[in-house]
Parts: sequence; C-alpha cells; structure tokens
Amino acid sequence: MAIQLLNGIVYGGLLYLLAVGLVLIFGLREVVNFAHGALFMLGSYIGFTLAAAGHWWLGLLVSVVAMAAVGCLLDVLVFRSLRKHDHIVTVLITFGLLLILETVVTVTWGKAYLSYPVPKLLDGTVTIAGSPFPIYRLFIIVVSLLVAGGLAAWLRYTRMGLYVRAASTNAHVTSIQGIDVDRLSLVVVGLGTALAGLSGVVAGPLLTLSPTMGNYILIDSFIVVVIGGLGSFAGAFFAALLIGQIHNLGAIYLPWAATMLPFLLMIGILIWRPTGFAGSRT
Amino acid sequence: MFKAVMMTGVALGAMLSVSGAALAADPLKIGVATDMSGTYASLGEEVMRATRFAIDEANAAGGVDGHKVEFKSYDTEAKPDVARRQVEKLVMEGYPVITGMIASGEGLAIAPLMQRWGSLYISVVNKADELTGANCAPRVFRVNTQSAMDAATVKPWLKERKEKKWAVVAIDIAWGRGSAELFSKAVKETGGNMVAELFPPANTNDFAPYIEQIKKAGAEGVWVVLAGRDAVNFAQQSKQFGLTDAITVAGVSFTTDGTVKTLGDSAKGVFGIINYSSTLDTPENKAFVKAWTDKYKVPPTNFEGEAYLGYQVLFQAVKDAKSVKTDDIVKALPGKTYDTIMGKLVLRAEDRQLLKPNYFGIVEAVNGELRPVVKTTVAAADVAPEVVCKTK
Repeated sequence: MAIQLLNGIVYGGLLYLLAVGLVLIFGLREVVNFAHGALFMLGSYIGFTLAAAGHWWLGLLVSVVAMAAVGCLLDVLVFRSLRKHDHIVTVLITFGLLLILETVVTVTWGKAYLSYPVPKLLDGTVTIAGSPFPIYRLFIIVVSLLVAGGLAAWLRYTRMGLYVRAASTNAHVTSIQGIDVDRLSLVVVGLGTALAGLSGVVAGPLLTLSPTMGNYILIDSFIVVVIGGLGSFAGAFFAALLIGQIHNLGAIYLPWAATMLPFLLMIGILIWRPTGFAGSRT
Repeated sequence: MFKAVMMTGVALGAMLSVSGAALAADPLKIGVATDMSGTYASLGEEVMRATRFAIDEANAAGGVDGHKVEFKSYDTEAKPDVARRQVEKLVMEGYPVITGMIASGEGLAIAPLMQRWGSLYISVVNKADELTGANCAPRVFRVNTQSAMDAATVKPWLKERKEKKWAVVAIDIAWGRGSAELFSKAVKETGGNMVAELFPPANTNDFAPYIEQIKKAGAEGVWVVLAGRDAVNFAQQSKQFGLTDAITVAGVSFTTDGTVKTLGDSAKGVFGIINYSSTLDTPENKAFVKAWTDKYKVPPTNFEGEAYLGYQVLFQAVKDAKSVKTDDIVKALPGKTYDTIMGKLVLRAEDRQLLKPNYFGIVEAVNGELRPVVKTTVAAADVAPEVVCKTK
C-alpha cells in the first residue's frame, strides 16, 4: 500500500510540473495554452539528444534554458501581439503551434519511438516496505516538491510574486496601478514554458519519446487545472496529487472504471464548485 | 491528432519509365488506412514503408500484370470510429483495395462494410481471431498471424518451462482481451495457473500500478500483450522496478524488431512470439531482405515483412484474376498457394486466413546488436487455427 501511494505521488508530481505551467500562463494571459503539451515534448527531445550522448544533467539544463527562451518568444510574438483580439484567436493559434511543433520534431528526430536513459546517479532501486522501488521515481517526487516550494515562496515573499498574484486576479486593474503586465508576463510565460521543458526531461525516462507524447499527458494536466481552479497555484498542487492517486488506485481497485474516474471527478467538482477547488477568484 | 495526413503516388516517378502500353491498363488502386499519430504510430510507419517498397518494386517491374499500382493513405489514429470514416473516404475516392490497419478493433469495425461498399480488406497486422473467425465477413482476408496461431506456438514452450504462476498484462482492446484469454487457457492446459490478469487502457503513461500488482500476486512469469508506445513504456518501467530481472518476461508484439531497437538493454532476455524475421532462410526472403537493405540501410522488421507479404499475395491474385476489379480479385484470392517470402503458403478458402509458420524466440545480442532471435519454428499445419467462419 505504501508503494502504491508513492506511485500515485510520482505521477501526481509529474502532472503538477506540467499543470503549473498552464496555470501560470492562464493566470497572466487568460489563455489556455494548447501548445503546452507540444512544448513538453520539445523539451523532452532537446534533453534527450544530450542525455543519449551521456550528458543527462546538461540535457536537463539546456532544455530548461532553451524552453525559457521559447516561452519568452511565445509571449512576445503570440500572447502580446494578440492580446487585443478575442481569446479564442490566441487559443486557436496555440493549437496551430502544437501541430507545427509536432511536425518540426518529426522532421528533426523522426517518428520512431525513442527511449530515454536514466542518469547514472539515479539508476537502481531502494527497498521500501520490502519491495524494490526505483530511485529515479523518488527523484521525480523531490523535483516536484522543490518546484512547488520554490514557486510558493516566490509568489508569497517577493515583490514580483506579489505582482504576479495581483495580475492573475485582475490584469487590467494591476496595470492601472502602474505595473508593467507585459514585462511580468514575459517572465511568467518564460517560467511556465521552462517548467514544461523541465517536466519533459524529468518524465523522459518513464515515458516513450514520440512526437505525440504531449497529447497523452496534457489531457490529465487540463483536468488538474480545472479541478484545482483555473489560475490557482495551490489548487493545482493538490489536484495533481489527487489525480495521481486516483489514477493509481483506480487501476488497482476499479480497473473497469479507471479511465473514467478523473473525468467523473472533474464533472462532479464542476457541478459542486464551478470555479474548482481553490477557485475563489472571479 | 486531428491530422488527415495524405500521400499519393510516391511511386509516380518510377512509373515514367514504364511503356505506354502498360499504362493504358486500369491502375490497381490501394487505400492504406493506418495509424500515423496514435499509440501504434511506429507500426503504422512500418506499414507505410513496406507499402512504398512493394509498390515501387512492382511499378519498376512494369506494374502488376501491366496495371500500374497507386495508393492513397489516411491516418486512423488506431481508433475504430476514425478508421471507419477514413476507409469510407478511401473507397469513395476510388481506392477500394483496403489494407494497413493496426488495431484489431479497426479491422472489425470496417469488415462488415466491405460487401456494401464493393471493396475488399486485407489485414496485415490485426490479430483478433474474430476477424476471420466468429465475425468473419465476405471480402475480408488476413495474411498476418492471428492470436490463435500465436497461442498454439506458445503452448509447447509453456510445457517446458518451470514457471507455474503466470500473470498477463494485455491492452484493453479486442486483440489484448482475446490473446490474454488464449494464453490463460494454454497456461491451465499445461498445468499452471493464472495469478493476475491486468488490462491497462491504450496510451497508459504510468504502468507502476500494474507492475506492483504483478509483484504482489507472486507471479513467476508475465505474458505481455502490448505493442508500440505501450510496449516501450511498460518495458522501460518494469526494468526500472527490477521486475524484468526478477521474473520471466515473454510476450507477443512486445519485443519486436522496432521496440528492441528503442529499448536496448531493457529488452534483453525477453521471450516472445516472432511472426516474421528478416533472418528466415528462404531464397525469396534473402532476395527481399537484400533489396530492402540496399534501399533503407537496415533489414526489414517483423511488421514490414508481414505487410510486404500482404502485397505479394494481393499482386499474385491480381495477376490470376487478370483484372483490378474488386469482384475479380475477391474471387481470385482464396484457396490458392502463394509464393511468398515465408515460402509457399495457402490462403485458406473457408475463412480466408493465410496459413503460415510461426516462431518463438528470445532477445539476445547478435554481432553486438540486440534483436529477437528465432529459437523454435512451428510449421504452418501445426498452428493452423480451427475454422469457425461460416460465410463464404
């Protein structure tokens, strides 16, 4: 049972890393970024190229930095220049980006499945509750906790964090107060995209690399964002852990309904609290 | 995702060299509906490669009995509902000879419609027995190995094994359910028992809950019925959990030429059914492997071999029929012996299943490179499935 709970936390942690990027971007730009899964995939491939050559940690670093740059470009070229248009235009553009990125990766790396190596330092298992457990999975838990803690501290204790929280509540009013929301957004979208790159590399050794790998995990991340409350950071964290557990325990105790459970939960939450767990913001 | 990828006439260039007289005949138009973006996208890619190879080869030789060969392909995402739509589109656009689908559910979804649409379907990957068994339909043919033939191949192996407590992990679609049932039956008949039967959905990201259950059930061996992306995910994660090294792992479509290349060491020592191998020792196969390797620099995979075999059968039937009309091809196909890369094989008239030998092997290093290696060969007659089909 301890192992099963741990497995749920691992998957929940991965979902959190992906979902929190969506939340960051949604908070500032009020746009659901459909390309987020493709950015996750691109980050994974960038890291893979270095990891396959034996430089796993360098791959992680390069992927995060490269995706941060991609995020800044995305903010300037797409979100900023389209902010006067209806949001649906931006959403459609992000969907187009998803298709473009998939094609770019297919042309560059090919369609064949690739397998990501586990870094040497984290290879092997430890015994937990009398059963071997991969060290790498513990690493995923550590990374997601560090990101969650770091983000929470940044948002709560820094001036910029305060601005981000303010802009996530109401970007218009925040800009009237003299805060440059565009500059803020550059940082936040860059950070959110960098987190997509980070989760892409961290998820790599568990998943099969393919140009469509983002699609399979993005749906779960969307569910996390909706259940947690759009634009809520803490909500996303708890929702991700919950969905992780539901995935795991569902597969064991209710296998016939396992794929439905996250959706049923989402429907239930939306009926009970249409703004999600922590969605108190208007 | 929502792409309708379309490719036409890659072979057009090759055809310019063909004489004017040959071009005057009606072309043979093949509709390839296969997975290009779903869980079996890599299998779809293998089918497409075999399609281009076979059609280029035929056209370079002046076409099939003077008919040039054309094809068009659409993405089915390995989903039965999408497959039905795409196949209808192919037929309406004038490509009535259908092939290429990966998931058994796709084949089963379109099989009953072939009669109404005046088209025909040749399965090259669908394994569910029903396609040529209980749900068999006129104008539906299968050249690849069905699950019952795989089960007949695994039984002699099970008899020799010490493991008595088995688990099965099978994808929750028609093929997985059917194959798991046949495997359980084989285990019971050879004196073993099943301790866990797990059915993860397609595109599962995290197999940890399934791996935990196999361990907890105390299984000594696990039979894996997963392919494509699911197979790679499972193999990787069970290696990380130490499962692969602790118990015997075997499967069908699990450690194929394609997945072993991806997995490397994680696939070492895994047993499995082999439906086709580029190492088969027939003159036809050697010639095929040489031509293929000259073109693609790597030997053909199991799925590429079986897909190519499908085109060999189809082209010979078109020659016999002396026509590219589907009615004539349908009449010409069954009950004949075909010259193929796996030797002379009979397409059984009763259920339209091609009877072929099957193989069992293990993943090991050959010249420093890991790949599935054939250890046992079972003759076509020994794996021939019972005839269940009632329609002619």
